[in-house]
Amino acid sequence: MSPDRLSTTFAALSDPTRRAILARLASGETSVTELAEPFEMSLPAVSKHLKVLERAGLISRGREAQWRPCRLDAKPLKEVANWMEQYRRFWNESFDRLDAYLYEVQSAPKKGKKHGRK
Amino acid sequence: MAASDAGYTADREIVTTRIFDAPRELVFKAWTEPERLVRWWGPRGFTTPFCEMDVRPGGGFRFGMRSPEGTEHWLQGVYREILEPERLVFTWAWQDAQGKPGHETLLTLNFAEHAGKTKLTLHQAVFETVTARNAHQQGWTSGLDDLADYLAKAKEERV
Repeated sequence: MSPDRLSTTFAALSDPTRRAILARLASGETSVTELAEPFEMSLPAVSKHLKVLERAGLISRGREAQWRPCRLDAKPLKEVANWMEQYRRFWNESFDRLDAYLYEVQSAPKKGKKHGRK
Repeated sequence: MAASDAGYTADREIVTTRIFDAPRELVFKAWTEPERLVRWWGPRGFTTPFCEMDVRPGGGFRFGMRSPEGTEHWLQGVYREILEPERLVFTWAWQDAQGKPGHETLLTLNFAEHAGKTKLTLHQAVFETVTARNAHQQGWTSGLDDLADYLAKAKEERV
């Protein structure tokens, strides 16, 4: 995923209302009116949030003029999950190496051939 | 274990903890002295041929990494807080091919003494940078657990 796309996804996810909307949509598609119900917020305000989510590719909306059901689009979320997975790997492996490095510098003067602990 | 700490339920942050058998002064230096950092930085097989850091609040850093396949990755950031040997806070962003920084995250490292060893806790705030962080702190609703479940499922199903 390009960094710009990731930034767009994160910008969309950085708002608590939008995250709540996505959480709601995870249990199935629904109308804007239904979506707006749990929030103390006007329909236009909810629509604004939906536009941000739609632009980020996190939701898609039906074509029907009146009833435009919103549904969750999982792809960007999966990309976020993969991105986070990469960081987990980055830190886990870096920490393994840091562990080995610290062992090495602390035993350096002896120049012993002991193997690094795991 | 470090990896299992970082579940989807906490997907506002990546949290990793590791205990190192070394005094925390040394562990801290491993993060703040270039000649030490390049010895361990990055996943297995990666090297860090370029490492520049200006370790003071507002100072920047730039690391050039090379993957085992020879691909270059450039990383940049700004130090926000330095409390030797306890705490280190900095922003972090990968650069694209034009050197333009991408999505910024905030890293907070805590170095704690732990029975003669050092317990290092790393938090990586995924959505927030230092400026946006406070504004969003209370924003994480319980509805997110559903989203987390969904994500976990989506991952299995390869949607």
